[in-house]
Amino acid sequence: MFDAIVIGSGMSGAIAAKELCERGLKTLVIERGRKIEHGVSYTDSLQPWELPNAGMVPEEEVARDYPVQSHCYAMTSANKAFWVKDSDHPYSTPADKPFDWIRGNHLGGRSLMWGRQSYRLSPMDFEANAKDGHGSDWPIRYDDLAPWYDHIERFIGVAGSKEGLAQLPDGEFLPPFALNDAEVLFKQAVESKFPGRNVIPGRVANLSKAQPHHEELGRVSCQVRSLCERGCSYGAYHSSLSSSLPAATRTGNLTIVTDAIVHSIVHDPKTGKVTGVRVIDANTKQGQLYEAKIIFSCASTIGTTQILLGSTSEAFPNGLANRSDMVGRNLMDHLYGLTVAGVLPKGPNTFYKGRRPTGLYIPRFRNVSEPGSFLRGYGYQGAASRMGWRSAALGKPGLGTDIKDRTRKLGPWMLYISGFGEMLPNPENRVTLHPTRTDKWGIPIVHIECAFGSNEQAMTKQIIADGKAMVEAAGGMVVNTSATPGTPGLGIHEMGTACMGKDPAKSVLNGFNQAHDIPNLFITDGSAMASSGCQNPSLTYMALSARAAHHATEFLRGGKI
Amino acid sequence: MNDLMALDRRSLIQQMLALAGAGAAVGFSPAALAKAAARAKPYLSPTHYALVTAVADTIIPRTDTPGAVDAGVPATFDALIANWASPDRRHQLSHALGEIDALAREKKGMGFAQLSATERLALLTPYDAEALQVVPSPAGGRGLSMMRGPTFANPGYGKLKELIVILYYISETALTHELTYDHTPGEWLPSVPVTPDTRPSGGAGLF
Repeated sequence: MFDAIVIGSGMSGAIAAKELCERGLKTLVIERGRKIEHGVSYTDSLQPWELPNAGMVPEEEVARDYPVQSHCYAMTSANKAFWVKDSDHPYSTPADKPFDWIRGNHLGGRSLMWGRQSYRLSPMDFEANAKDGHGSDWPIRYDDLAPWYDHIERFIGVAGSKEGLAQLPDGEFLPPFALNDAEVLFKQAVESKFPGRNVIPGRVANLSKAQPHHEELGRVSCQVRSLCERGCSYGAYHSSLSSSLPAATRTGNLTIVTDAIVHSIVHDPKTGKVTGVRVIDANTKQGQLYEAKIIFSCASTIGTTQILLGSTSEAFPNGLANRSDMVGRNLMDHLYGLTVAGVLPKGPNTFYKGRRPTGLYIPRFRNVSEPGSFLRGYGYQGAASRMGWRSAALGKPGLGTDIKDRTRKLGPWMLYISGFGEMLPNPENRVTLHPTRTDKWGIPIVHIECAFGSNEQAMTKQIIADGKAMVEAAGGMVVNTSATPGTPGLGIHEMGTACMGKDPAKSVLNGFNQAHDIPNLFITDGSAMASSGCQNPSLTYMALSARAAHHATEFLRGGKI
Repeated sequence: MNDLMALDRRSLIQQMLALAGAGAAVGFSPAALAKAAARAKPYLSPTHYALVTAVADTIIPRTDTPGAVDAGVPATFDALIANWASPDRRHQLSHALGEIDALAREKKGMGFAQLSATERLALLTPYDAEALQVVPSPAGGRGLSMMRGPTFANPGYGKLKELIVILYYISETALTHELTYDHTPGEWLPSVPVTPDTRPSGGAGLF
């Protein structure tokens, strides 16, 4: 019997485990994927010429095993082991509503390959649902989470600049990765021509300057290689393997099982509490039951949903903690891949050194300092860089000395900005269990039905229009526009399917990420999100996880659960 | 320029001279090309391997710096065909190579690999310009349109050239002699002056 079980070892689960362990709880982390190890499982030492097949996954293998995962920008032949084989982990969607579910089943989950952009939600994000009536009103406000953002930022290490913006609160930052000269030019143009808009250094969970508490865990400063998604042997970006699991391990309170696929969570109708987790060994298919006093589900948004919907009983015929019928509903991602790129013919005659692990960020301004013809808003990530060898060599016809000469020259500055738009919670965007299909472990597969609505469509147009205007304001010639959002899911910010809320009839979790229906069940992955904001969400998942672990421990110690 | 950089430039020049050898000014002869590109056990047939070698040497020849053959591109291309390409892709690339060879036989009466470097360049340059005309991309498709790249009038040739160029520019040879690559820069300097010696940085990333 453990004090706590945490399902999932990714971004949320490993932080929950660390916080529970640090509070003295004997904690078991259950991971469905295989064990991998910090350092030895990484491929960051490979030189460009050592990449298998020049970095490309074999075409037949893509078609057979990775038809969805291969849509992720970060997947290469060097790190394909960090992505699930779609062939082994099927799910279904309606034919006309594709959804790209990007996953990594291994110890540490997607914290190994995440984009590391780390932004706080703001007071207006926590008030949005109450204000416009979409989704369930968050049971917490920004001030409830602010100290936990501080706590997480200090622990993981976030490089960023303090800007004093209401819509993007500052945090406990390490020094920022400064804007390069073309980005400074862009910043000046945007901020002077569009008062209220800001161009700031991207806030990123890479150690621009490792602090003693990072070094204690074996982490050192970022070497500016931009090889992050292969795993970083320096531990310079936060992941479960570099950071949160080592912190949990040193307490002596952590146990980890891998290759353990959760079948269901066991509920005792007499006490009204959950008592344990049934797992299936991924290799032997043997069943096993683990028991604990409290359970945290951090299996990822869709993973947690699958577990809850599959954990049925007389007390919960529609799935665990689902008396509200909201489990699986309100699936959100961000509008993603809406990009405007332009050349800056009059860019500064300077260069930069290093491959920075971030770029620039433009915080939300629509429905903040400028009106929008839609609800909510969007921010942009982007960067300016000297056009690289690919475009120089392949951008136009030419052979021989022509190619060599032009590729040897420093290219012009290319600026791109890519919008991330808030998607409204919509109960019809929904994860359910497939009525007949099961995976090879006998677990019903999920059926995902998700599409952008009219608000997202209106937002999409404005993202592109504003993007063009800003690139042009800096003297940019727009050369490429991607005006259609990536398939839902491809933002890899799926969330919302076990939403927090004040009303137990309309939400799954209360203000402590505690299930309304079950006092000792906590859910702190993306499924808890009542709205999505437009900010990259992992920082919020981690802050919610730490906060919930704190309260869960207090409840346990106080005899309340 | 500091002393270290001067030393580096000198050593580069020496390496180039050593590489260039006799006859570099007029490029590889067909026999020298075959010898330079030799691979123990090619996947491709000898005819196709010779053709790939000649095409790679025409796209990126040895000049005052090493070319595609010096960088081992025929062998790495052969490995891609064996280990990466699908049957459809193999067919597409083989067809693209065949078209170039057919053009040589039509215009010059002999295979492309049998031509001199000058003849190869003269033949392939207009072909390249026409084949790489950008045509409208088909609508639809999943994923991100920007990652899919442009659509060329002759997509088979476009892919062939792209692979050869990528294999060259991610080679250790090109990252030493053409571009720069530092696996572990160690620091971010957001503003560095450009000098006549500044070269673009390479690597496998998208940007």
